[in-house]
Formats: sequence, structure tokens, C-alpha cells
Amino acid sequence: MGIIPQIIANSIIAGAIYALIALGFNLIYRTTKFFNLAHGALTVVGGYAMFFLYKELGWNVYASAVLAIVFAGFVGYILDKAIFRQLRLRKASQMVFLVASLGLLTVIQAIIAILFTSQFQTLANNSTESRVYTIAGGIITQTQAIILICGIVVLALLTLMLKKTMFGRAVNAVSDDEEVSKMVGIHTDKIIGWVFFIGSAIAGLSGILVGFDTGLEPTMGMHLLLKGVIAAIIGGVGTMHGAFAGAFLLGFAENFGVWQFSGEWKDAIAFIILIIFLLFRPQGIFKK
Amino acid sequence: MDAIRTKELHKHFSGVAAIDGLSVAFEQGKVTGVVGPNGSGKTTLVNVLSGMLPPTAGVMVIGGEREMKGLRASDTAYHGITRTFQEVRLFEQMTVLDNILVVLTERSVWGSLFERHNAGHMKKVETVLTRVGLWEKRSQLAHNLSYGQRKLLEIARVLAMTHSDHIGQDASIFLFDEPFAGLFPEMIKVIVSVIKELKEAGKTVILIEHNMNLIRELCDHLIVMDSGKLLAEGKPDHVLAKREVIEAYLGE
Repeated sequence: MGIIPQIIANSIIAGAIYALIALGFNLIYRTTKFFNLAHGALTVVGGYAMFFLYKELGWNVYASAVLAIVFAGFVGYILDKAIFRQLRLRKASQMVFLVASLGLLTVIQAIIAILFTSQFQTLANNSTESRVYTIAGGIITQTQAIILICGIVVLALLTLMLKKTMFGRAVNAVSDDEEVSKMVGIHTDKIIGWVFFIGSAIAGLSGILVGFDTGLEPTMGMHLLLKGVIAAIIGGVGTMHGAFAGAFLLGFAENFGVWQFSGEWKDAIAFIILIIFLLFRPQGIFKK
Repeated sequence: MDAIRTKELHKHFSGVAAIDGLSVAFEQGKVTGVVGPNGSGKTTLVNVLSGMLPPTAGVMVIGGEREMKGLRASDTAYHGITRTFQEVRLFEQMTVLDNILVVLTERSVWGSLFERHNAGHMKKVETVLTRVGLWEKRSQLAHNLSYGQRKLLEIARVLAMTHSDHIGQDASIFLFDEPFAGLFPEMIKVIVSVIKELKEAGKTVILIEHNMNLIRELCDHLIVMDSGKLLAEGKPDHVLAKREVIEAYLGE
């Protein structure tokens, strides 16, 4: 047995976190066609909203989580209405969107640092309290089990929403051709606003989960975002199951790489995989 | 009455006039043909009328309402305008069925998350897809249809915009940009009968077309454009007999 089961367990957990980021990012990307770097900031918003409600105000954990997730979604919705929608109306180029969203990421992370300091915070109360499961020789904490379940549930709900609901059809139509969607009477701004809400709420959820698992830092958004984006690209940008598969591939590659080489290699491995995919299979695992 | 009218309409692309002071009217309940050599501004006119492009100058009037300086794409459906494209534009990654269903979608986001489409919606989808002969293909992706089938699906989508049971969306003005181009005779027949039915139902049709036999068969009124200007207009037979029209159109 040895260490392998634990590495597999770690890979799956890392994969689940990346998957959550990638799913939200992908939902927004496929609808609006720009790389929303501010998506990373919403993980920080969610995580620190949870920290404020749960640790500082001492609210119940579930109520705090629900409110923090909704708050992250709401912030995403506002960003769309206040900034991205205005850029769409001005027919701004992809580069403008990219720079604007990078700016937002920086600003939001700075605001969080001002409000909560740059100090590392954790959401978990007392790590000894946390229940631990042993599955086939690998140890998983309760938090990590919840992360995995959240990843699977979010993928299932998103897939269901996009495939089965009228809302999902409208989202797909906007993804396909926003202009024609407008002309047949779909309220594209409303649809995009809600896509931002849902995608950002998922980012908020990821931030909370990371806060419980490892801890919070105002700058964690950039890091999580990069991994989510890499997962989305290697999975096939725009496809939900692709983002999911890409996230787990990334999780496994990183953790086995760290085991084989050393911890410093983790981020390098992520980017090496990205470059390999960009060179040899730019459409990703699943082509849209 | 005029369903839609333009006054001194201009559309310039980096200084070049695609539409150059055009004042035309499209009568309600009639089929108006728009012809002219390539680059005469026909498609640009349709793009401005349907809100895809803002005019550089001039105004348009829809259904006797107040004058407005162009239309926004998001208001097109509200004003009862619907169109097809010279280069067909479908929702490529969606099924034939969903391409139509999405046009009928419940507009409240909350409702559309939890409400299923009702029997009325499905009936409507079946009617319009059967009308163009695509009901059998309903579960295929739009992307995988043949060229002709794609054109027919766009016609079906336009038909779905009529008598929809949601607010403000009974299309009354139909813009067809070369709907017959490259089609087989049996497909042409379907679209010809669709246009005739629309006319019988009192709808306004604006038809860009190069085939003069179809223009003669379908149009009540004909507008000839050249270099973004109005060259001639009137009854099709009469207009097509004019020398300046023949020269502009055929006189290479």
C-alpha cells in the first residue's frame, strides 16, 4: 500500500477544488466569451464573508455559509452590471475585458486585505475536532469529503440546469450567438447577470471550502483562479464535464509530481501541463 | 399604412456610404422586394432595420410610432421585427427542437429555472418544424444540418415568433435576406408558401432576392437600390422594365 492511496486522496481533493473554480469560470466564459480574472476574487469574497459571519459574528455555520455564498454571487452580479455590462455596451475588445477583470481582482483582494489584514486566517475551529475518514488506506478529513461532494453536486446541478431548464436553453443560446439571442427576444443582459451570480456563488463556495481545508489569504484568489483556468483549458474551454475532467487531471498530475520530485514543482507542473496541451491539443480533452 | 419607414437614412462604414440618404416605406400587409447589384446596400438596410447596426444619420419609424434614431437589437422583438440572415445564424450547439423552444422561453429567470415548457410550447414547436419539414430532425444539433435545412430552420425560428404566448412578441414585420439562395426547388416551394401565408395573415414582408421570377411571383412592391440610394420603386413588372434598372442590374 504505502503512500500511494494518500496521494490519490490528495489528488482527488485538489481536483475537486479546482473543479469548483473551473466550473464557475467556465459557465461565465462560455456565456460572455471573456476570461474573467475577477472570478478569483469571488473566492476571496466568499471565504472572508464566511470568516466575518462565522468567526467574527459567531453565526451558525450553515446560515453563514448560505449567506456568504449568496453574497459572493451578488458581488459577481454587481460587477457584471456595473462594469462588464458597460464594456459590452461599448463593444470593448477582449483585451479590455481581460485588463478590467485583472484590475478588479487586484482591487478586491486589496479591499479584503484592508478589512481583514493580510494575515493567514482559518475557518476551522479546532483541527482536532474534525472527523477523519480512512478510505482504502488514504486519510480524508470531513472538510475534504464535503469538498468532493460539493464538486460532484455542483457539476450535476449545472449540467441539469443547462440541459433541462428553459433558463439553461437561454444561457446556451446566448453562448452560441448573443446578438441573435437578443433579436429573438431573449433578455441577454438578464441572463448574463444571473450567469455571473451563479458562477460567482460557486466561486464563493470554493473560497469557503478552501478556508476550512487550508485557510484564507487575501491573495489566494489569483492562485486558485490560475489553477481553475488551467483546468478549464486542458479540459476543453466551455464544456462543463471538460472542466471537471481537466481539474482532476491537474490534481493528480500535481500531487504525483510533488511526490516524485518536490513541493516546489507543484505550480511548475501545472503550467507544464498547460503548455503541453496548448501545443498538442489546444482544444482540450473534450472539444466543444 | 406603413409598417416601417426610413427618412434620409445614412449608414457609413469608415467614411464609405453603404446607405446614402435612403427614404423608403414598407407598406403593412404587403410583400416588398428589395433588389439591386451586389454592394448596393440591401443587407446593410436590413441590418439597420433589424437593429443590428445603428444608422449614421437619419431616422426610422415603426408602425406609425414616433421617429427614432435606430433600434437596438434587444428591442427588435419588442417592435415585432424578425429576420433571417444571408449567412444563416442558428444556435449551433443546440438541437433543432431547442433552437425553436428557446424563442418561446419563459422570460422570468426564476420561472425558467423551475418551470418546464408547457404543451402549448411543444405544439408550437411541432407546428413550425413540421411546416418546414424538420420535425423528424428535431433531436439533431443545428450544426449538423445541411445547408438547405439550416435555411429552413431559420425560417421556422421566424415563424415561432408569431403568436407566441409571451409578452410583446407577435412578430409583424419579417425581413428575409436572400432566403432562397442555393436551395433546391422543393425547399424554395416551402418558403414561397410560407411568405404567401404570412402575407395572407396581414404580415409585412421585406424580401431581398436576386431571382426575378420569385420577385414577380411574391412581391406587391419593389424597391431597387444602387450604391445605397433608391434607384426606382413601384410595381415589380413596371420597375423591372425600366431602362435604368436593367442597366444598373444587368448592364455589366
